[in-house]
Amino acid sequence: MSKPELRKKLASLSFSEKIKILEKLRQRSLAIAAAGLRSSKANRNPK
Amino acid sequence: MINRMQADGIIGKYAVGGAVGATFYLEPSATLDLDVFVKLPVAPGSSLLSLTPIYEYLTARGGRVEAGHIVIGDWPVQFLPSSNVLEREAIEEAMQTEVEGVTTWVMRAEHLVAIALRTGRAKDHARILQFLEQNAVDRHKLDGVLTRHALIPKWERFQSQYLKETNE
Repeated sequence: MSKPELRKKLASLSFSEKIKILEKLRQRSLAIAAAGLRSSKANRNPK
Repeated sequence: MINRMQADGIIGKYAVGGAVGATFYLEPSATLDLDVFVKLPVAPGSSLLSLTPIYEYLTARGGRVEAGHIVIGDWPVQFLPSSNVLEREAIEEAMQTEVEGVTTWVMRAEHLVAIALRTGRAKDHARILQFLEQNAVDRHKLDGVLTRHALIPKWERFQSQYLKETNE
């Protein structure tokens, strides 16, 4: 499935289904932040 | 819980805005909090709007305060008292919908775009572009909202910054 098709498919989900995805995305963001992956990656690749 | 708070007269009408509101129309994208725009009842003889009754109501029912948000369930919720005519109109004209059987109200796409334009951060501009790319906004209705709320000059600057290539 192409990226535009995937976006269209996701946009057409019900609001309840989208909220469930938002909750998963939020938990993932919090887990990444808690693991310090963002900061350690930034430290390895200083601009 | 927000509907119960409304039924109990702590808040007036409300509407979900921000990234969660945008998700009603677009594909889901990561966000850390839920923005709820509210009309607050004003006490007789007072012109002050206070969020204290909301905090007191929710903390008494298990909500906890974290960094300016009230955590309800797993979600940090930010209650934003409507502070201008645009936000009041957005609340009044919000769409009724349901999340897992619970009735709620979400701002119309045109109001979400207009508020994002007025707020004007990079992430707001990115969201506006998403609405436009996905044809999730009625351009005629958007023109009406932008005109009513004196946002046309800002819209023109946005267009010239981000949509120049598509207009030529």
